[in-house]
Amino acid sequence: MTPILELRQGTKLYRGVPAVKDVSFDLRPGEVHALLGENGAGKSTLTKMLAGVVAPTSGEILLEGRRIELPTPADALRQGIAMVYQETSLVPSLTVAQNLYLMDDKPFHRLRGIYIAGQQFLQSLNFHVDPAALVSGLGAGQRQMVEIARAVHHNAKVIIFDEPTASLTPEEKYQFFALIGRLKKRGVSIIFISHALEEALQISDRITVLRDGEHVVTDDTAKFDRERIVRSMVGRSLKDELYGSQKDRKARKPGKKVLSVQNLSMGRAVRNTSFSVFAGQVTGMFGLIGSGRTETAKVVAGVQKRDLFHGGNVQFEGRPVRYRVPRPAVLDGIIYVTEDRKFEGFFETMSIAENIYLAALAGGQTKSWTISMSEMKALAQHWAGALNVKAINNDARVIELSGGNQQKVVVATALLQKPKLIIFDEPTRGVDVGAISEIHQLINRLADDGIAVLVISSYLPEILQLSDRLLICRQGRVVEEFEGTQADEDTIMFAAVH
Amino acid sequence: MAEGLLSLAPGRRKSNLLAMIVLAVTVALIIVFSIAVDGFATVGNLRVILSNSASLVILSCGMGVVIISRGLDLSLIAQMVAGATVFSIMINAGAPGSLALLVAVATMVLVGMMNAWLIAYVEIPALLATLASAMFITGLFRFFILRGEYLLLLPKTNPAVIFLSSELLPGVSAPVALMFVALASAWFLLRRMSAGRTIYAMGDNFQAARLSGLPVRTTTIIVYVYAALAALMAGLVMSSASGTVDFRTVTNGTLLFEVILVVVLGGIPLRGGRGGIWNILVGVALIVVLRNGMTLLNVTAQTQDVVKGVVLIVAIVTDNYLNPRDTETDTVGDL
Repeated sequence: MTPILELRQGTKLYRGVPAVKDVSFDLRPGEVHALLGENGAGKSTLTKMLAGVVAPTSGEILLEGRRIELPTPADALRQGIAMVYQETSLVPSLTVAQNLYLMDDKPFHRLRGIYIAGQQFLQSLNFHVDPAALVSGLGAGQRQMVEIARAVHHNAKVIIFDEPTASLTPEEKYQFFALIGRLKKRGVSIIFISHALEEALQISDRITVLRDGEHVVTDDTAKFDRERIVRSMVGRSLKDELYGSQKDRKARKPGKKVLSVQNLSMGRAVRNTSFSVFAGQVTGMFGLIGSGRTETAKVVAGVQKRDLFHGGNVQFEGRPVRYRVPRPAVLDGIIYVTEDRKFEGFFETMSIAENIYLAALAGGQTKSWTISMSEMKALAQHWAGALNVKAINNDARVIELSGGNQQKVVVATALLQKPKLIIFDEPTRGVDVGAISEIHQLINRLADDGIAVLVISSYLPEILQLSDRLLICRQGRVVEEFEGTQADEDTIMFAAVH
Repeated sequence: MAEGLLSLAPGRRKSNLLAMIVLAVTVALIIVFSIAVDGFATVGNLRVILSNSASLVILSCGMGVVIISRGLDLSLIAQMVAGATVFSIMINAGAPGSLALLVAVATMVLVGMMNAWLIAYVEIPALLATLASAMFITGLFRFFILRGEYLLLLPKTNPAVIFLSSELLPGVSAPVALMFVALASAWFLLRRMSAGRTIYAMGDNFQAARLSGLPVRTTTIIVYVYAALAALMAGLVMSSASGTVDFRTVTNGTLLFEVILVVVLGGIPLRGGRGGIWNILVGVALIVVLRNGMTLLNVTAQTQDVVKGVVLIVAIVTDNYLNPRDTETDTVGDL
């Protein structure tokens, strides 16, 4: 059987660093093909090549056996390949119907016409979305429906889903699976990226596992079980090593109350949330995407401003604080380690040494008003050594390092600023397996040293393994609190979604 | 040691192909003009080039520092004229040169701080903030201080004015000396001072600079005050050379265009974070050689403008060709 879509020996280099190495991948007509792998395994890059978002450095793409070029996503769509993104690509200020008909090659649309057509079309898919509603007012699940409808509307033969269920409630998830079934019946082939292994096992026909940008295995789903997938994903049974030991771990006792947040509000993202963080222990913060975890942390660290009226209050070491910019928070000892290091974590034109030196300048560890090369060198040597950053030398640019080493540099810049409260937002996102355990050890060591540590993560095993106390966020507020060793995955998940 | 030097120069690693090409073109132009144009390759002409380029170099130093910090100062020329006006009025009122200079410096510091306050504290985009302040400054000085005149005459006999156009050393006139002061101060600020580190950091990744607790607001003040002082220096050079302060320099806009042209041609991208003094020099060299050669060839000012516009477009196209953009680089958000 000719595969409907095929990638032959695809390679994608970013600045000479391979994100995908020599991977061959094929999709049969009418199948659901799950694409699994850890963060940074190359799943997104692979699908982006197929959807025309990035051009492969080498390799070829075949659609129904003939070679095609996909310079832009619009070309891919014209060929019948649509991608549904994790962050939606809809235009928020337009209505549902306008978004559906946005890419049609027609200079004008009659609004009434597209509302009626949109209504009929959405009903034919059994979607209950108002075509005249603004997209900005829709929930995550409904937005995804619109995205899918748009893909179907363009007669997509292949639909690629990037983590479609990450932001859905269980009910929406159920509907989504039903929809996948209906699409399959229409003869649509589906690629499905997911972190949730059970989902993949449940709905896919075949599974492909990637690791570090390389192809590991492709096989029928029936021949997989959870154990085999995990083993292929991490290379060895590393999962137990990394996340398995939480049962026999003793939770640390809370020390002094360092941070106390009462009725904090910021726009729609943070709604009247209250919690505390104590010295000498790791407080975990879990929640789904859109539950306001990052925003809460950013308000505490002064990156974003809370509401002017009824914004609530924040007390740091017993003193009410209201930061308008991050600098005073940093000088007080509140350090936020970002979840998006490329966007706001490091300086890409600069070397490891320069990045570390800048942090010292920012935190006031270096007071001199002229640059001291010897100090820069000494700092870099000390911190790169302390965190075991692997690079040719400290003059290497941070952008050229692997994800794990980039993260270590970012963590080093945070640590040298002598935090009293350190907030790790997704500390191991896009980090290679080896570095994950190093970063976890580091977090534990910080708590042992009496520093208040807040860890935000959407990966349950990680949060369970690290935290002494657990806060669960939902819809912009902390809704539940557990002692770290009492909770199990089910109770936490239940609290996070209901 | 070589590595140590390299890491002192964060802007030197990327986007320098453009600077190299511009340099090559400049050298080629110099050769062509030397052969084809009488009186181009003479010591006298070299001296003319040097003193004619003084104000452009000084202004470009100010603009370069601003652009490296991912800012933009459209009020630079207005500031230049404003600074010269303050100085001239003080001189005309009979004040000694030192006092006039002091008042002018104080005014410029104030103007620079106003710009920085709008950008860093009120958080207006630099483009709009400086556009507004350019209009504000021009209007204020022309109508409230000069009462609608656009020309202000400087007494050529005043010792301060004589000093500003005299030769300090044989072959080194005061404008040329001021040019070196501007270059040296920009180099020291960018490469040696901690604030310079922050300037590059802001241009490289503003979010990261803010988040890591770098004093981005204070540094914005330093940047725009530096630009204002550079504008004052350029204003002194220009007005003492011509004996007038001419507000038409602001309104016809070519000088502002030339300053931005110099910075971009030299290889400092508008998104900031890269480049340095070297890039400014390369950009100035091309513009000044082009201008001088064409003037000697009796090319009209209008044709010269056409050539400069074409040069800018060619440079940008070349740069895009040399550094092709994909989704990765696009996220950085070029201007």
